[in-house]
Amino acid sequence: MTAANDEDLALSRRAAGGDTVAFAMLVEKHERPLRAFLTRTFGSDAADDIAQDAFLKAWKAAGQYDGRARYSTWLTRIAWRCRLDSPRRHRAELADEPPSESGAGLSAEIGDMLARLTEAERASLVLCEGHGWTHVEAADLLGLPLGTLKSTVARAKAKCRQMWEGADHG
Amino acid sequence: MADEFDRFLSSALAPEEREADRAFVARVQAAVALDAAFHAERRAALRTAAIQTVALFAVAAGLVLLGRAAPVADFFAESPAVVLAALLSGFGLLVILFGSQSSHTSAGQMFSASHFNDLARLRS
Repeated sequence: MTAANDEDLALSRRAAGGDTVAFAMLVEKHERPLRAFLTRTFGSDAADDIAQDAFLKAWKAAGQYDGRARYSTWLTRIAWRCRLDSPRRHRAELADEPPSESGAGLSAEIGDMLARLTEAERASLVLCEGHGWTHVEAADLLGLPLGTLKSTVARAKAKCRQMWEGADHG
Repeated sequence: MADEFDRFLSSALAPEEREADRAFVARVQAAVALDAAFHAERRAALRTAAIQTVALFAVAAGLVLLGRAAPVADFFAESPAVVLAALLSGFGLLVILFGSQSSHTSAGQMFSASHFNDLARLRS
């Protein structure tokens, strides 16, 4: 277990005992990567709602974090489940709309690329290429077989490369 | 070996470097405080209901035992009007007791509704 995991485990145990200050420290530490992942994967409109739901669930389930996985992995898993349960997801699927990237702090170029990928491709690509997750961690989060996850990342990357080269970078 | 595209992709997809978003942290803290208050209120309502139920059974058991005692049973046999008055009093007591319980429940429901309204407001 790493020192960061030890620190997060200690804070999470304090949060499980009702210490809201300890939990606020966890929120401060982890909101940036979580919201970055959610924004790139689902768009900025949904990201903050999902992040808030995820932190609220993490607060309620603080006693269940055992420090074996990174806190960020555990939290992202909760956020992913929040998204799966979210009514907004069903509305978005019905409308078949790509996530809006406006105002999300993304360059227009990467925003356009991500908007042309499927949700699973976006999530896989962001986690593995941008957040340094291993393929095993990402496959576990997304509920995909490892081989499928690897091919999803490769396909997403190939699509992005094609768009990037098409924009006179190649 | 990472080419220019790989470097572009990893830097574009990495979380941006910035300080913690205090406004977001405050929103989460407010939601947590609201949730904690809601659960404290619900626990208090359940405790009150449990105490009232136990008290009700204790009073009922006491009355049954009292009514079985020979002098009291004989008195009730001779004076049915007193039995009727006692039953009506008991019924009145139950009405008051359950009336107060339902007002507690309504307060809990109102708190619950305002809890979800507050959560919705925190999000906007």
